[in-house]
Amino acid sequence: MITINEYGARTSAALRRFSRSTTTTLLCVTLGGYLALGIASSGEFFQGPSVRTFLQYLATPVLIGLAQMVALCVGQLNLAVGALGGCTACLMGVLMADGGVPAPIAVAAGVLTAMLVGLVTGVFIVATRINGFIVTLGVMTILLGAQYRLAGTRTVDGYSPALKELGRAAPLNVPLVFLTALAVAGLLAVFLYRATAGRRLLAAGGNPLAARLSGISTDRQIVLAHTLSGLLVGVAAVTATASLPGVNRSVGGDWLLPSFAAPIIGGVGLSGGSVAVFGTVLAAFVMRLIDAARAQFSLDPSWVNFLIGLVVLGTVVGGRVHQTHLEKRGKAHGRTPPAPAGRGPTADATLPNAGGGQ
Amino acid sequence: MRTPVTAPEHVAGEAAGAQRPPRRLPFWVDQRLGLLVLTVALAALFGVLRPAFLDQRLVLFPLLREISTLTVVALAQLAVLSVGHMNLAVGRMAAFGALFAGLGYDRLHLPLQLGLLVCLFAGAVIGGLTGWIIARTGVSSFVVTLAMDFALMGLVSLLYSALTENAAFTTRPSGLLDLRSASLADICVGRVCGSPAVPQMAQFTVLALVGLGFLYTRTRMGRELLLTGANPKAAELSGIPTGRRVILAHSLSGLLAALAGFMAAVSTGTFRASIGDDFMLPSFLGAVLGGTLLTGGVVCVVGALLGTSLVAVIRKGLDLLGVGLESLNIYLGCVLLLALSADRVRAVVSYRKVVRST
Amino acid sequence: MNDVLLEGREIVKVFPGVRALDGVGLRLTAGSVHALLGENGAGKSTLIKVLTGVHAPDGGRLTWRGEEVRLRSPLEATRTGIGVVHQERNLIPDFSVAENITLQSPPARRGFVDRGAMSAPALRCLAELDLDLDPLRPVRELSVAQQQLVEIAKALYTESRVLLLDEPTASLSPREADRLFGVVRRLTARGTCVVFVSHKLEEVFALCDTVTVLRDGRSVLESSPLAGHTHDDIVNLMVGRAHTATEMPPRAPDRTAAPVLALDGVSTADGHQDVSLEVRPGEIVGLYGLVGAGRSELVKAVLGLDRITAGEVRMHGTPVRIASPRQALHDFGIGYLTENRKEEGVFLEQPIHRNITVTVWKKLAKALGYVPAAEERQAAQDLVDRLGIRISGLEQNAGELSGGNQQKVSMAKWLAADTRLLIVDEPTVGVDVRTKHAFHRLLWELAGEGLPILLISSDLTEMITLADRVLVMADHRIRGEVDNDGDYERMSGRIIRIIHDRALPAVTTEREAE
Repeated sequence: MITINEYGARTSAALRRFSRSTTTTLLCVTLGGYLALGIASSGEFFQGPSVRTFLQYLATPVLIGLAQMVALCVGQLNLAVGALGGCTACLMGVLMADGGVPAPIAVAAGVLTAMLVGLVTGVFIVATRINGFIVTLGVMTILLGAQYRLAGTRTVDGYSPALKELGRAAPLNVPLVFLTALAVAGLLAVFLYRATAGRRLLAAGGNPLAARLSGISTDRQIVLAHTLSGLLVGVAAVTATASLPGVNRSVGGDWLLPSFAAPIIGGVGLSGGSVAVFGTVLAAFVMRLIDAARAQFSLDPSWVNFLIGLVVLGTVVGGRVHQTHLEKRGKAHGRTPPAPAGRGPTADATLPNAGGGQ
Repeated sequence: MRTPVTAPEHVAGEAAGAQRPPRRLPFWVDQRLGLLVLTVALAALFGVLRPAFLDQRLVLFPLLREISTLTVVALAQLAVLSVGHMNLAVGRMAAFGALFAGLGYDRLHLPLQLGLLVCLFAGAVIGGLTGWIIARTGVSSFVVTLAMDFALMGLVSLLYSALTENAAFTTRPSGLLDLRSASLADICVGRVCGSPAVPQMAQFTVLALVGLGFLYTRTRMGRELLLTGANPKAAELSGIPTGRRVILAHSLSGLLAALAGFMAAVSTGTFRASIGDDFMLPSFLGAVLGGTLLTGGVVCVVGALLGTSLVAVIRKGLDLLGVGLESLNIYLGCVLLLALSADRVRAVVSYRKVVRST
Repeated sequence: MNDVLLEGREIVKVFPGVRALDGVGLRLTAGSVHALLGENGAGKSTLIKVLTGVHAPDGGRLTWRGEEVRLRSPLEATRTGIGVVHQERNLIPDFSVAENITLQSPPARRGFVDRGAMSAPALRCLAELDLDLDPLRPVRELSVAQQQLVEIAKALYTESRVLLLDEPTASLSPREADRLFGVVRRLTARGTCVVFVSHKLEEVFALCDTVTVLRDGRSVLESSPLAGHTHDDIVNLMVGRAHTATEMPPRAPDRTAAPVLALDGVSTADGHQDVSLEVRPGEIVGLYGLVGAGRSELVKAVLGLDRITAGEVRMHGTPVRIASPRQALHDFGIGYLTENRKEEGVFLEQPIHRNITVTVWKKLAKALGYVPAAEERQAAQDLVDRLGIRISGLEQNAGELSGGNQQKVSMAKWLAADTRLLIVDEPTVGVDVRTKHAFHRLLWELAGEGLPILLISSDLTEMITLADRVLVMADHRIRGEVDNDGDYERMSGRIIRIIHDRALPAVTTEREAE
């Protein structure tokens, strides 16, 4: 039924859509930034060791950004990202260093624990209908305590040299941890865009009522999202443990804000239903670029946070202005107001999530 | 750990206390009373177990000083929660305010009081700016304050390193050290002196409590803030300038955060960028435990004090009992989650009641 | 062909504050189009939600082909063979047309969505509606009418034996609606039963075979052949004229007085064209029109919530530009009782005294904005007494009241503010008959005291009971004006004629061309 012509028209429509998306903008910014940085460093930035360092510290931000994105896509937040990551890292470190547990088992135990914590968080939110913000805040507090208890004031570094070896390994100057992050992002993309379970997750986030009417349990999706978020944090903890010289109680302390910044810059809305795996990865890239540029020009590290703040603000405000503009045009055009798809533009000014989707 | 912290009143503030409709729960499950009794009971218990807990100068004085500061932090969060918003940047706003106070003392050699005014003004301005962005663009307060947090984190550090030699203002105006260590014992009426346990810094907290209490229970502005939080659309249609109220709430939050920043700086004696680093968690803990709702429209000013006190007493008491700092957070997280689950049970029960009566 | 598919008896559904359904019966037979009629708030949508497993009924029985069924979830209803198009938009904005259509049971292989296999059935459903849409387009890019049609395509996909359509034509052009009716006829020919909910009686009479009429949560006419009833019978059953027509003492507004509010050739960003109207002191001016005619939107534009692009608004003869409802209230004394009570009218989680006095704090406030609690409570108590609001105390939350009492609270705040012009929008939707009477009497008295009132209502009986003259609005324009002579037959005939005489709307057609 689909003629070649029609097919072509559809592809071009899809291309046009893509070209206008946040992802494309980010892609341009990333490439442009990278090139500019390379030229500014007179080519040094393109060389093996620089690329390697650049990518080495990109793995964890990508993973925690994705972990947050999965929670955001059902309209939830996960404040426990940093605490869970730190706690898991310490757990693995302590298991290996003090408990003498072999690395593969410790890693598996860590990832499973993180996933389990996510599961319990999700179940708690759904069962009590308490706002996810507060629940994850409580979980974060508990985990911070647990992390401190595990690691105390010391730095655990006497764990598996093999794991550290893997963490530092970089065939062709591409670090293994970065490849892991990319692979996870790829799997997540396949899950969210292709798998029925992933589509259900997005449906529940995009329009909970419609999802419910189509036989999708929003409660289950919330639990699934938190579990998945926990799993991703677990993987992030593994990459951190592998690439850091040792783990202590400060691991994960500075993960929370970047975990939100990446998806938000990447074009993920707080109200749920939208994901941008590639966008989130690119946003993490951009943030890393800012950091690299800072190092290149030997500026104060504080510039990084300042700039990221401005970028986040610029992204959301710009996006909102653009949307308002579109709506105004839509109104002037025909009298039917633009599709009230999902939620109204003003509704989400109050709270990003409505707890356990009542 | 069981706690009778069960039912936050639906009614905000103390005005409600006068007349209670018959269906209200009996007074002994009143959340504020519950918190008070629990705090006092725990303090007494710790006092019996460890008499050192009741040492006025060494334990109670610093404890009350901490409670004073953190209560103001909780009030800063409460101000935005009243309109159904959040302020993730409380800590940075505190640092931002304190920066200006320090700058005033160091460069302009301002007297203590004038520096405080500059500090409050700076906080109110930055809060107002945040509120303006939110009101103007309609972007969720979560994202805007998150971006603000990043931006201020960077900006404050940058300013400190640009303006000072070792990233701190050490110039202390006369009176600052007195304020730090002065207690009511230094104020004598004839031969009767106050308790050495109560720090003079508590005057700020009392002022903030009375001010906010008056605002929310007795004035037009306060009521309009609450209604804006309860239902922004209906508030707008009822003639409340919701945009301006959102800005007011945020600048109030900035002002209180700056006050807390000043108090924290006085407690430590230096004006540093790290002031307010750990304000976010206590700000939510205090406000939410005290019965303020995240959804807006319901605040409890005294509750912020009681919630903060409970947390601080548990922290200090367990510390003296030798439980170890590491486990404290675990208990605190559990207290938070338990308290809120109990609240949820109450909500379900009252919903059923309404359905049955129809 | 006469076998009964779905039957409901004595169905009861209770929500906090209202008995939405109170003993409803319904019998759906194969191969028929069944009309479900009733005023706003009569319980149609609730009944549909009970029949499709969204709400569990609190009483009564449902049988499917003679066997008792319990529909615990929408999915169970679908599996049983009941499909539905709800009034609310039920599409996932970021998903493609095809994926939305197949959302109930997406074609999948080993846990992965099969996008190739998705397009064919989607295209088939779209073709059935003569709709040429790219199945890969995200629905957020579609117009409202297109989205509505996608929803219908989505219901076709499940191939149900009973298909419920809740106001399917609300946002369709007549041409699209005709296409839909063609589909409905084809479906019934195949033995499906289609339940059709609409405000447009002409559509109902053109399409339906049997009819159930709901009023105040009860079925006043149950699965009766439509051929046996006239247009007027049905309307009378829907509005229950014997109950609603309140006898009012005569009242003679001064037609020569200077208008308080005058609109002169007003156009708005929402699409209103050349709207002119005047409201004089002591006069109740009705603004009648079907749902979607743009009545509430016009008022909101006057209140400053939307842009006025042309024309002039005059208060007491002076041209004004109102920027916000606040200015409307405090500078011009305009009160607007919203139609959307729960979302825009009352603060559900706030005590009653605050709900009532919100408009007068500015007046009550002393130095520093101090509002004396005693005066506030007194002001609230006065109105509670005056309107006879049944409460257990002023501290009670408004959300715990019944619909009628909530509406009274919503009204009370405007009375507290001593407004000089009152705009009431659907004041009696979803309230019980007694409260309805009380409201009619109240509005009548207020007008008698000289208050100008602009009354918006889709309830023709209410219009004829209260209004001095009725402006008829359709497609964002005033189409005509009728002086009320109090005779229901004559008035309804004239008003309906005005609505029908309008030019066919060109709303949806131009957007579709994109």
